[in-house]
Amino acid sequence: MNTVAKLFNPIVRFSPFMMMALLLIPVLGGLIGVILPAFGWIPALDQTHFSLNGFQQLWQTPGIGHMALLSITTSLVSTLLAFLITILILASYFTSPWLGYIQRLLGPILVIPHAAAAIAIGFLITPSGMLSRLVSPWLSGWDAPPDWLYPHDAMGLSIILGVTLKELPFLLLMALGVLAQPDLGQTLRAQHKVALSLGYCPMTAFFKVVLPSLYPHLRLPILAVLAYASASVEIPLILGPNNPPTLAVAIMQWFHDVDLSLRIKASAGAILQIQLTLFVLACWWLLERLVSQFAKPMLTNGEREYGGAIIQKITHVITALMLTIIGLALVGMLLWSFAGFWHFPDALPQQFVILHWQAASQQMHTPLIDTVLIALCATAVAITLTLLTLEAEQHSGKSLSLLGSVLIYLPLLIPSIAFLFGLVWLLEQVNSQHTFINVVLAHVLFVLPYVFLSLASSYRRLDPRFSIVAASLGATKAKIFFRIKLPMLIGPIFIACALGLAISFSQYLPTLLTGGGRINTITTEAVSLANGGSRRISAVYALMQMILPALGFLLAWLLPKIIVKNHRQK
Amino acid sequence: MTGHLMLLANFRWQHIVGTAFYSNLIKSKVVISLGLSALLLAAGLWAGIAHASVNDVVDVVDKPVTQTSTSSWPEIQSRGANQDVYFHAWGGDPQINRYIQWAAKQVKQLYQINLHHVKLTDTSEAVSRVLAEKSANNDHQGQVDLVWINGENFAAMAKHQLLAPNWVDQLPNFSLTDPDNNPAMTRDFGVPTQGMEAPWGKAALTFYYDSIVTTSPPQTLQQLSLWAKQHPGRFTYPKPPDFLATSFLKYALIVLNNSQPEAIKNLLYQPATTQSQALLLPVLWQYLDELHPHLWRKGRHFMSSGMELRRLIGDGELALAFTFSAAEIPAAVARFELPDSSRSYRMQDGSLSNIHFITIPYNAAHRDSAKLVVNFLLSPQAQAHKQQANVWGDTSVLALSKLTAEQQAWFAPSKQSHPSATIANQAISPALSEPDPSWSKVITALWLQRYGVMQ
Amino acid sequence: MQTFASTANRSNTTSTSELTIDGLILSRQQQHLLSLSATIRGGEILTIMGPSGSGKSTLLNWLTGMLPAGFSAEGQLHLNGQNITTTASHLRHIGLLYQDPLLFPHLSVAGNIGFAMPPSSKVQRQAAISEALTQVGLGGLEQRDPQSLSGGQQARVALLRVLLSQPKAILLDEPFSKLDSQLRQETRQLVFDQIRQHQLPAIMVTHDQTDADAAEGKIISLDKIN
Repeated sequence: MNTVAKLFNPIVRFSPFMMMALLLIPVLGGLIGVILPAFGWIPALDQTHFSLNGFQQLWQTPGIGHMALLSITTSLVSTLLAFLITILILASYFTSPWLGYIQRLLGPILVIPHAAAAIAIGFLITPSGMLSRLVSPWLSGWDAPPDWLYPHDAMGLSIILGVTLKELPFLLLMALGVLAQPDLGQTLRAQHKVALSLGYCPMTAFFKVVLPSLYPHLRLPILAVLAYASASVEIPLILGPNNPPTLAVAIMQWFHDVDLSLRIKASAGAILQIQLTLFVLACWWLLERLVSQFAKPMLTNGEREYGGAIIQKITHVITALMLTIIGLALVGMLLWSFAGFWHFPDALPQQFVILHWQAASQQMHTPLIDTVLIALCATAVAITLTLLTLEAEQHSGKSLSLLGSVLIYLPLLIPSIAFLFGLVWLLEQVNSQHTFINVVLAHVLFVLPYVFLSLASSYRRLDPRFSIVAASLGATKAKIFFRIKLPMLIGPIFIACALGLAISFSQYLPTLLTGGGRINTITTEAVSLANGGSRRISAVYALMQMILPALGFLLAWLLPKIIVKNHRQK
Repeated sequence: MTGHLMLLANFRWQHIVGTAFYSNLIKSKVVISLGLSALLLAAGLWAGIAHASVNDVVDVVDKPVTQTSTSSWPEIQSRGANQDVYFHAWGGDPQINRYIQWAAKQVKQLYQINLHHVKLTDTSEAVSRVLAEKSANNDHQGQVDLVWINGENFAAMAKHQLLAPNWVDQLPNFSLTDPDNNPAMTRDFGVPTQGMEAPWGKAALTFYYDSIVTTSPPQTLQQLSLWAKQHPGRFTYPKPPDFLATSFLKYALIVLNNSQPEAIKNLLYQPATTQSQALLLPVLWQYLDELHPHLWRKGRHFMSSGMELRRLIGDGELALAFTFSAAEIPAAVARFELPDSSRSYRMQDGSLSNIHFITIPYNAAHRDSAKLVVNFLLSPQAQAHKQQANVWGDTSVLALSKLTAEQQAWFAPSKQSHPSATIANQAISPALSEPDPSWSKVITALWLQRYGVMQ
Repeated sequence: MQTFASTANRSNTTSTSELTIDGLILSRQQQHLLSLSATIRGGEILTIMGPSGSGKSTLLNWLTGMLPAGFSAEGQLHLNGQNITTTASHLRHIGLLYQDPLLFPHLSVAGNIGFAMPPSSKVQRQAAISEALTQVGLGGLEQRDPQSLSGGQQARVALLRVLLSQPKAILLDEPFSKLDSQLRQETRQLVFDQIRQHQLPAIMVTHDQTDADAAEGKIISLDKIN
């Protein structure tokens, strides 16, 4: 214990720098690894003079404007929709027990990886999907699937549907998390009551009183969703058009093209992607300004009612519709995974078989073990660093600087497609052999911010008097950390672990690129199968993608209870 | 979030209730939480170290190997045994994946080689990988040991000198393909392979359909166009550069130019020039312009992957599709992915045929082991197993005349297979050779220009 | 301390205003909590006293129409002759004053008061707000951020906010318990003066005897259940 106590303080002091390095070096190094080729510097292709050829090629790509526009519109519209529906649900059910039910229904969606969600929605809206089967042929008259263009529609409506449904639970749970903070949440609820007593209808009271205080807390999550949506590849790859696709998907395809010189164009595209993401973030900021300018006088104009009843009815419909879509998508997947042959207008397969689960389980064990191992390692690193950094914060008595807290979220805000290719190059330079470590490192980049986000508030809110009492009893800082703080935070730590695992399970691009194809996870397999020949195997993999994080959360929920229970019995 | 708070509140409450009980609680919770994080960390370290140490061992073993390129087969056998081999191969078909798993078991028994199937969604991923390694000056410890490849990808790798030269002749089993009398074994889409890749299997473009929905499928390219008009939305092909897409387009290109003079037709087997393009391509675009409005989704969307064709037939969206691996049809029927009434046939005006190969990158870390694996894949045992319809159904590259009577018997088809395993028109459909690989590139680029961006 | 005169658009404050609680029986899951009948005339303050757990806040919740799930109530509530037992909270015109001022942080002092006023022209509203602020000794603080005010100032802004919303009755939920004794007395005086001046029926929940005495009205003591 003595040596631990001696080492503890230096380790704690050092850990914030370690964490920053672990986040910053890959991101910045990765960016450099993309910027250099964008300006024509690829020694491997014997190109070592700088030029703007890449950007010229990019500019001349047929449909480049269309690609960029598709990225911009789908990300803005879906983020806006997810935000609006979040707000409508909050406003409509703010004082109703339904808010809790909706939270419980939507919560699990949060941990479903994007790829799995996209696969499920694709199954639902495809011409031969659940939706058209349910209305055929008795209502639609279709004996064969209709020739409609969903998914993969050129406008990206399918992408918008997918991203909206996937991000809505995230924003909603973020908002509910804010409202669950004891001080803020209670104040907002009391202020809502005050507004009601002043004659405001509940809906208007929410918009005029709660939303202005709530929104600042939602801004960062919204921007993260927006940045992600503008540059993600899973959902557009599975649900989006390909003539042309979104910019991010096109960049990924150029990087993987047989024609190796396309890498210069791809790197230039990555730079464009960063600008595009910045642009949509700026658009959001502008929109926020405009709305707040426009709405400010309305806050105090004394109007108490803006058709709240109608909006509430609309919200009921939207909520029901959403839950139905999600439910149908999940049921559809489950059916496909057990389906024998499934002739088109039939609502159910001709027979149910477990063949597909058997076939998948034969192929699945290596990816499954890799998935779990990578996630455990990445989460262990992230949890350890987060706890030590938070402890360092309390040692030094000051919170992370604003810069520091922005840096933590850097990997979430910079489009991953823009720096991951550079990161692969960087990893090649230093450590090309240890694929497993490379993948874990790449996962840490994305796991760490979420784990930090999840743990920071509990850690900072821990009553400091416990530590003071312990210190007055002669406990060292190490002892306080291990014996007081960690056990008291066991619940939040387990939840953060489960979140970290879930984030790691869902990573597609980082695994694909740093793993170089040598390491396959359930997610990379699921994405490559999504556009493959078998709906059934694809459904099995997508379901596996959902089961894994669910198990993680189940354990995180159960283990602390079991531990506590065991002690009660002693 | 609420979960945290409740748990936190829970613990505080306990603190108030009983300190003695609580300190006990803390102690073992520390043990458990410490234990857990230690376990997690240890797992991470172990996995990392395990990986590292394997590679370190390999480093030591491997270094002399890369320096000697001409060694005898027994030398290769002794050096190549007992190592890992990373086989980068397209992984979209469960049957093929299972065949590779089978092969992995065999080489484990024969040579103690651990054959890892790195499943690619597109072979070009492996090409990029090797290129990235070359750019990082990793010339000896490449992570790609074997690549399943042909056509364009081969041409690209050869052009950038990413392949190990002159190793195929070292393989004892290569002679079983009778390369002297069988020039196709050393030409990949018309390009000489120069010992950089070994043949693995043969394939031809095969069409299939649901015989309940479609009673008389089109037998020629021209009939296909008419059929599509009569059955709007029930046929499509994937989007180039997908392999099946370019294959379909090349089939169309060859058939449409069939009536041209011999001298012009032969231009297809030479690198494409502006001149030859002007002579050969217009008929293709004319045909496609006419065909597209009648395709699935009115030709406004083409699927990215050829594998989706099979799914869309199963869903009832398409009534006619095609594949390069005919054996997938009965296999998919057995997996309930295609209707029991599925049937397959070849077009009477010809079937595009090609050979697919296995190659070793120039910087492969386990080059000798890779050669052992390739030699096994060329063995009569492996080739016969591969040709079985219920295994993979991929046609063997071995010349039967080079085999013993007993070995030849292994190649006889099994009797109780699904009707779709019997391909109609097989005898009368002429084999169409692959054009020069440059044509794939040209067709892809021009196709994307014409149809790639929806107006 | 100045007193606050009638607002610009308040037509008359007749003494006919009256809040009647008729045969109220509150229970929690079939368990009886409290029974109450009372009539409060305009300008009167009914004080409810009792330890925590005696159902004070449940009573307030019932009066404002925000009775949580698990509670049930019998009896009726009449305001100025109208039965408002089942009227939605926001249509009851019953103002609430909490121990916390609960000023809206995103609005200025003037914004907080303006929020409560019925719609009218901007100029009129601003004039009314300024006048009201001046009368409680907060003149010139219109654009201040409410967080920057002292506790007593915040309490006064909260009071103005309720009064300018033109309520027909007022509920006071331990309204002065967070103020120190000097401020407490002043603020209490101001609030009670205003209630009397506006002839509003008021119900005050408190456990402070001096509050109850100062209210000079009827006092009902609730006993702790169980």
